[in-house]
Amino acid sequence: MSVIPQALRERPRADIERVATVFVLGWAVAFMLWQGTGFTVTLMTVFAIWAILAVSLNLVVGFTGLLSVGHIGFFGIGAYTMAILASDASYDQLRTEAIPTPGWPFFAALPIAVALTALVAIGVGIVFNRFRDDIFVLVSFGFAIIAFSFFLNLREITRGAFGIHEIPRPAFGGWVLDGEVEFLVFALVCLGLVVLLCWLIVTSSFGRVLTAIREDEEAIAVFGYQVTHFKLAVWVLSAMMAGLAGALFASWTSFIDPNSFILLESMLLIAIVILGGLATIWGSLLGAMAFVLLEEGMRFLPFLPAEFVGQARQVVLGVLLVLLMLFRPQGLVGRYRL
Amino acid sequence: MTAWSGRLDLSEFRERPRDLLAVVLAAAVVGYICWAISQSPQQALQFTFNGLSVGAIYALLAIGFTLVYSTVWFFDLYYGAAAAMGAYGIFYLRSGEALGGQYQVNDPAVNVVFGLVTAGVALWALREVFHRRLRERFGNRSALAVEALVAGALGAYMGVVLTWTNDLHVLFAPAIAMATAFAVAWLVRRAAARLPQRIDRSGFPVMAAIAGAAMGVVVGVALADTGGSKLYLSWVVSCLLAGMVGLAFYRGLYVQIIQRTRSRLIMLVASLGVLLALTALTVIVFESAPRPLPDVFGSVPWEVGGATIKGFNVFAIGVACAAFVGLLLLLKRTAFGKSVRAIGDDEEVAKVVGINTTVVIAIVFFLGAVFAALAGVLNGHDTAIQPRMGLIMLLKGWIASVVGGIGNLYGAIVGGFALGMIEQFGIWSLAGEWKDVVSFVVLILFLSFWPNGLLPRR
Repeated sequence: MSVIPQALRERPRADIERVATVFVLGWAVAFMLWQGTGFTVTLMTVFAIWAILAVSLNLVVGFTGLLSVGHIGFFGIGAYTMAILASDASYDQLRTEAIPTPGWPFFAALPIAVALTALVAIGVGIVFNRFRDDIFVLVSFGFAIIAFSFFLNLREITRGAFGIHEIPRPAFGGWVLDGEVEFLVFALVCLGLVVLLCWLIVTSSFGRVLTAIREDEEAIAVFGYQVTHFKLAVWVLSAMMAGLAGALFASWTSFIDPNSFILLESMLLIAIVILGGLATIWGSLLGAMAFVLLEEGMRFLPFLPAEFVGQARQVVLGVLLVLLMLFRPQGLVGRYRL
Repeated sequence: MTAWSGRLDLSEFRERPRDLLAVVLAAAVVGYICWAISQSPQQALQFTFNGLSVGAIYALLAIGFTLVYSTVWFFDLYYGAAAAMGAYGIFYLRSGEALGGQYQVNDPAVNVVFGLVTAGVALWALREVFHRRLRERFGNRSALAVEALVAGALGAYMGVVLTWTNDLHVLFAPAIAMATAFAVAWLVRRAAARLPQRIDRSGFPVMAAIAGAAMGVVVGVALADTGGSKLYLSWVVSCLLAGMVGLAFYRGLYVQIIQRTRSRLIMLVASLGVLLALTALTVIVFESAPRPLPDVFGSVPWEVGGATIKGFNVFAIGVACAAFVGLLLLLKRTAFGKSVRAIGDDEEVAKVVGINTTVVIAIVFFLGAVFAALAGVLNGHDTAIQPRMGLIMLLKGWIASVVGGIGNLYGAIVGGFALGMIEQFGIWSLAGEWKDVVSFVVLILFLSFWPNGLLPRR
């Protein structure tokens, strides 16, 4: 049992990273070539949204060491703000339990969505800042559950389990991005911006302070840095990116309901981040890609009934997490272990 | 780019006078309860009953959770899966007749897996308990062979029981009979050892064996004949299986990870993987829709002072209290309890003074999973079961143990019942859906202002 893992651990780090990268990318390319363009576009759009989430969560987990399971809450707040502000009002009159929607364009609703997520994140962050380690995990579970309860039960605002329909695509003047390819490009541009922002954060002095906080909070506090403010700042930034991802998601699917924001998704997200590797942007991108490929790839397994695809993916992820924690706690290309 | 040192002073925010707040809050709670009673005494009584019923389940969860957490000091998320597994075990064993065979499941793969788990745990237990004695008598190789044979037989037995669930009471009667026989024989031997020296004791082992066997046969026959015995035996089997899986995860997986790393978060993430995988497997085997469990003691509620409570809920409260007392006795009165506390204080030192920490912790994991499974079973009979219930129950047990005071057994039972009551009275003027929000808000309040809970650990 311990033959291969021993070899794995003693390999130089760059080697495993290269193998993982080549494997995931090769898998992706092969898969896309096999399935054709339409499939590739869908796959890449899903990837872009998950990747924004994963990269932003990695800022919190990898750079402050706080294992947040509540990230899906921010994703949901972004998505719901976008949905409520931008949903087409004329369709809404026809439905049960209609809610009034202003019907704003995408780009008017987007800043509000991100700003609202940031506001919530500030409030939550101030409360959560004092917690650490496993207690932080518990309260972040709590945040995800509270957010989900609000989405489900505040029927006057979110229409509860009915969900919100007719969320428009982004439009530049008269040019509406209603094609799948256009939206993919837009999503990838957003992903690029998020990655760029994360890269700037990570490589700046701010990022170095964050790394130092992760390694030893007391020591960096001695040097006069207000640790809580740094943690709060990165928490809010990360939440804003999640809000952006949520807005994109709402606009892409054009229909959202609370089931997209359950706690389980959040646990899958943390699994992606840890799988890819903590404290690296590249790792999160790889993790998100592997995750998307895993789900889509399992659709084509002949012996697997269609309704169990999601479950099978979850089993594989769970087993992968356990194996990683056994043999490679820092993840595939990670720089930091919990 | 210059570093942002973030000089903005909010430190007073944290140093508020807590005691004053506690008094104000307690007064508010009392006032709120008085207001609730004045609004409608009948509803208040009903909510108290509901709170106690739910609280019993939370208390059971919190007790097991505290037992495990205060021994190893990391959060084991398998605990939630154990709760779901206990409930689904009943469904698996009893779906045949109780629900009209509507959702009958009996998967050979599941039976084989649990048979293997049983065999593995049995092998481990035999090696830990009997190996030295057997090796001295028969030599290493034959000792191993005997152990493997017995373990394999037990595993096969479990597989058979799981396959023919309709005859569970008949199939399980010999096992219960043997267990009774052993217990009686052991008791007689113990009693004999206490007799004065001058009485001749040479006949006692034989007598013990005869008495034990007789008792065993009586119990076995009675079990096979009693009508409800199938369901109650299913509880035993289900809790045992969940416990054995818990033990297997500790011995087979967590020990390996602990040897490589001492990080609590890594353990947490690994058990998160376990929880994810087991939840998904539950969905694959049982589908994700909620399922009912058969009724126990009939479903006619009792009426007390205008409010109603089911007999089963009273039973659940009794089980929680009995489990608490039993665990307390185990921990305070036995050598095992002492070693558990020693490991909780310092595992390294416990190892140095000669405690077999792996065995003790493995048993703790077994007990913890049994408690979780029991809570899952009670909850399942009370409401319905669904694959996601494990996570919610885990979180509720976690919250209850934080509210009660983490690592304190008394705190766990107080916290469990307190959380049940808080949840019920918290949703007095809200809809029932908000009770998860209420419990998490309570959790965050407690963590912010009284991180040590109601009854701090020493």
